[in-house]
Amino acid sequence: MKRNGRVFAIVACALFAFVFMGAEKAKKAAKPKGEPIRAKIGVISIITGAGAGYGEAITNGIKLARDEVNAKGDVLIDLKIEDSSGKQEQALAAAQKLINSEKVVAIIGPTLSNEMMVAGPEANASGVPIMGTSTTAKGITQIGKFVFRNSLPESQAIPASIGKAVKKYNIRKVALLYGNDDVFTKSGFDTMKEVAEKLKLKILAIEEFQKGQADYKAQLTKIASLKPDAVFCSALYNEGGVILAQARKMGLKVPFVGGNGFNSPKVIEIAKGAAEGLIVATPWFADKNDPKVKAFVAKYEKAYGKKPDQFAAQAYDAFYIMTNALKAAGTADRAKLRDALAATRNFHGVLGKFSFDAERDVVMTPNVLIVKGGKFTIFN
Amino acid sequence: MEWLNPYHLQVASFMLINAILGVSIYVTLSTGQLSLGNAGFMGIGAYTAALLSTQHQVPIPVGILAGSLLAGAAGILVGIPALRLSGVYLAIATLGFGEVLRAVLINWESLTGGAVGVAAIPQMGRVILAWAGDRGFSPESLGLQSNQFISLAVFLILLLCTILTVAFFLRLSRSRVGRAYAAIRLDESAASAAGIPVTYYKVLAFSQGALLSGFAGALFAHATSFVSPGDFTYHRAVEILVFAVFGGSEHIFGPVFGAAFLTVVPEALRSISDYRYILYGLLLVLMMVFRPQGVIDPALLRRVRRSGKGTPA
Amino acid sequence: MFLEQMINGITLGSIYAIVALGYTLVFGVLDIINMAHGEIFMFGAFVGMLIVSKTGAPLPVAFLGAIAVTAAMGLLLERFALRPLRGRPGASHLASLISTIGVSILLENVAHKIFGAGNHIFETTFADIGFRVGPVTIYLVQVVILLISLLLMAGLALWLGRTRSGKALRATAENLETAGLLGVDTNRMITATVVIASAMGGIAGVLVGMAFNYINNQIGLSMGLKGLAIIIFGGMGSVYGAMAGGLILGLSETFVVAYGSSGYRDAIAFIAIIVILLIKPQGLFGQAPAEARR
Repeated sequence: MKRNGRVFAIVACALFAFVFMGAEKAKKAAKPKGEPIRAKIGVISIITGAGAGYGEAITNGIKLARDEVNAKGDVLIDLKIEDSSGKQEQALAAAQKLINSEKVVAIIGPTLSNEMMVAGPEANASGVPIMGTSTTAKGITQIGKFVFRNSLPESQAIPASIGKAVKKYNIRKVALLYGNDDVFTKSGFDTMKEVAEKLKLKILAIEEFQKGQADYKAQLTKIASLKPDAVFCSALYNEGGVILAQARKMGLKVPFVGGNGFNSPKVIEIAKGAAEGLIVATPWFADKNDPKVKAFVAKYEKAYGKKPDQFAAQAYDAFYIMTNALKAAGTADRAKLRDALAATRNFHGVLGKFSFDAERDVVMTPNVLIVKGGKFTIFN
Repeated sequence: MEWLNPYHLQVASFMLINAILGVSIYVTLSTGQLSLGNAGFMGIGAYTAALLSTQHQVPIPVGILAGSLLAGAAGILVGIPALRLSGVYLAIATLGFGEVLRAVLINWESLTGGAVGVAAIPQMGRVILAWAGDRGFSPESLGLQSNQFISLAVFLILLLCTILTVAFFLRLSRSRVGRAYAAIRLDESAASAAGIPVTYYKVLAFSQGALLSGFAGALFAHATSFVSPGDFTYHRAVEILVFAVFGGSEHIFGPVFGAAFLTVVPEALRSISDYRYILYGLLLVLMMVFRPQGVIDPALLRRVRRSGKGTPA
Repeated sequence: MFLEQMINGITLGSIYAIVALGYTLVFGVLDIINMAHGEIFMFGAFVGMLIVSKTGAPLPVAFLGAIAVTAAMGLLLERFALRPLRGRPGASHLASLISTIGVSILLENVAHKIFGAGNHIFETTFADIGFRVGPVTIYLVQVVILLISLLLMAGLALWLGRTRSGKALRATAENLETAGLLGVDTNRMITATVVIASAMGGIAGVLVGMAFNYINNQIGLSMGLKGLAIIIFGGMGSVYGAMAGGLILGLSETFVVAYGSSGYRDAIAFIAIIVILLIKPQGLFGQAPAEARR
C-alpha cells in the first residue's frame, strides 16, 4: 500500500507539472510572435594569460545562463567567445572580429577596464551594444551611448563598506594600502582616499605595492608601527589574501576594509584564518537567502565543481539583462537592443535589484560583508 | 565592398606596427647591440603622442613626430653610457631602463595618469573621417561603411609609414652607414682599426632603433586610442625580440616577415592561443639551435631572386 | 620599527642573494646569462609547495624534491638550449641569451597551464616558529634563510677557489679549448655548473615559499629580474658580489618603503644598475672592466 501511495504521488506531481507546463506553453503561444528570437552574442574574455582566472569565471557564468535561456526557447542565443589575453590590441581585434566577421548583435565583455577603453569606442562607433561585466574603472560608460556595464564600480562599493565599518568600530585613524600598477585597484584607492577625507579620518600612511611582489612585509611593518584603527586596502583578491596573511602574522590585527575586488571565496582560501575581520562591499553574496541565488550557486557548482565568485555572478546577470532586453526589443537589431538595454529598470538577478542610470551605469545597493568563522557573512 | 572587413584591416594594422617594431630592434642588432629597452622607447613615443594630443590639442602628425624624436633623444641618452657595455651587459641595462621607465609611467601620476593610462586619444581613422566629413565627404560615396573607411584609413597610413621605414633602412643598409654597421657587427676592433668611428655609429644605430620604437608607439597610441603602462612591459620587449629572431636579423625583410607572420598566425589560430606563449618560447629555442640567423637570411633572398629571374614571368 | 624593517630587508636580501648566486655561477663559467634561472627557481617553489601541502611530508623532503626537479631542469636546459649553441662557428654570444629567454617564456607559461595564475599558499608549521628579542619577533625561517645563503656563498667560494673540480671549472671558464686540451671534460663541467646553479634556484624557491607563505607563476620573472640586476650591481661572476648585492638590494627596497615612497620599490634594482654601470661598469666586486669581456 505504501508503495502505491508513492507511485500515486509521483504520478500526481508529474500530471500537475505537465498541466502547469502546458499552461506556460499556452501563454507563450498566445504571444503575437511565436518564433524564437535568434541572435548571436559575442563575448570577449581572458582565456589565456595572467587574468585567465577572471575570464574563466566570466565565461562559465555566461555559458550557464546561455544554457538556461536557450532551454526556455523564446530566445536562442549563439555565443561567440573570443580571447583577449588581457591585452588591449587583442581585445580590439576580437571586438572587430565579432562586430564585422561574426556580425554579433551585442558584445559582453571585455574583462578589464583597459581593454574596454579600446574595444568600447570601436563598438560604439559601429553601433554595437557592449556591456562590461567586470569593468569598474571611471569613465567606462562615458565612452558612448552603446557602452554599458553591470559591474558595481568601486565608487559605489567602497563608500558602503567604509561607512559601515567606521560607524561600527569607531575608526579615527587609518592607513591606506593599494596596488598602484593596476587600474582597478588604483581607482579603488582614489575612492577610498576621497571617502576617508570626507569622513574626516586621519590618514596615517599611504603605501603602494606592485603586481607579482612576493613580500608586503616592509609596507605592513610600517603600517603596523603607526597603529591605525583600520587599514583600507584596495587590492584584488589574489594579492589581498596574501597581504592579509602577512599582516596578521606580524600582529596587525585591525579590521581591513576592501572594495569589490577583495570579495572572493579565494581570499579565505589563500589567507585561511587571517581573513577574519575583512570587510568588503559587494553586490554578490553567495550565501544570500534568496532562491535565485541558491539555485544559481547550486547549478554553477554542479556544472563547474566550484562555487561561483562575483565575476561569474555578474556575467550570469549580464547575460540575462542582455536577453531580457532582446525580448523587449523583439528583434535582433543592434540599435533597438541598445534602446531596450538602456531602458532596463529593476531587473531582479542573482546580484539583487539592478537598474541602469541615465548614463548606462549601475544602480544597485551593495551588501556589506565581513569574514567571520571562515566565510563571508552580512555585516551590521 | 562587403569583403573589406575592418577586422582583417585591424589585424593588418597591428602587423604593420609590429613590423616597424621589428625593424627597430633589427637596426640596433645590425651593429651587434641587443636592446631589450625597445618596449620602453615605444612607451615614450606612445605617451608623448597621447598626452600632446589629448591635453594640448596638438595635431596628430606633430604629436607622432614629437614622440618619435623624444624617443630617439632618449635613445642617445641611454645609448652613450650604454656604449661602455657590450653584449649581455647592454641587454640587461636596457631591460632595466625599460622597467624604470614603466615605474615612472606608473608613479608620475600628474603627468601620465598612473596605471589608469591615457584614454580617449584621437584615433587616426576617426579624425580623418571627421575632417573629411566637415568637407562634405561621405564614405558611402566610395561604397564604404564608416567603420570600413576608418579601418582602411588607419591601415593605409600605417602601410605608408611601414613602406617608408623599410625603404629608408633598406637604402641605409646599402650605404656607407650600413656597411659600417655590418663591419662593427662582424668585428668591432677590426672596424675601429679600419678607421670606422665605432662610437658614432653605435650610438647612431641605437638611437635610430629607439626613434623607430617611439614612432611605432605613437602610431600605436593613435590606432588604439588608449595607452597604459601595462602596454610596455618586459613581455613586449621579448615579443619585439622574437620578431627579429624568428624572421631573421641579418636582412631587414627578416624582422618584417617575423612581425607579420607572428601577428597573423596567432590571430588565425585563436583556438590554440592558449598555447601561444609556450610556442613563442619553444620557437626562440628552436631558432637558436637550428637556424640562428632566422627564417630569412641574405642567402635565402639571393636564392629567391635568382629563381625569380630564372622563371619567365 | 627600524629593527623589524632591518630583519625584513635581510630576509629579502638573503633570498635575492641565493637567486643571484645561481646566475653568477653560470655567468662566471659560461659567460652566459641564464634568463631561465628565475623560472627554474619558480618551479622549485612549486615542487616544494606541492610536496608540503599534498603529501604533508616534512620540509627536508620538500627541499630534496625541489632540488631534484630543478637539477633535472638544469640538465635539460643545458642539453637542449645551451649545448647545441656551443662552439658553433659564428654563433653570437647573444644566441644563448635569446634561447634561455625562450626557455623562460616557455616555463612561465607551462607553469600557468599547470598551476594557474593565482596564488598558492605555502604552509608549514616551521614558518610559525618565532622568538622575541626585545621589541621584535624573529622567525626561525628568517634565520635559516640567512644561514643558508651564507653557507651557499661560502661553499661556492671554497669550491671554486680550493678544490680540484673547482679549479677545473675555473679553467673551463678561462678558456674552453685549452681546458679541454688539458684533459678537463668541459661538457661535463659545464653541465655540472648549470645543474648546481639550478638546484640552488630550487633551494631559493622553497625558501621564498617559507618566508612569504605564498607563491605564483609570476615570481620567477620578478625575482629573476632582480637577480639579474644584482649580479650586474655586484659584479658579474663574483660570488661575494652576488651576496653583497642581494643584501644591499633587499635592505634598500625595504627602507625605501619604510622611509620613502613605496611606489618606486620595484624600480630601485634597475636604477641601481644604471647608476653602477655609469660609475663602475664592472660592478662593485667585479675585477675585469666590462670592455675586456666579450
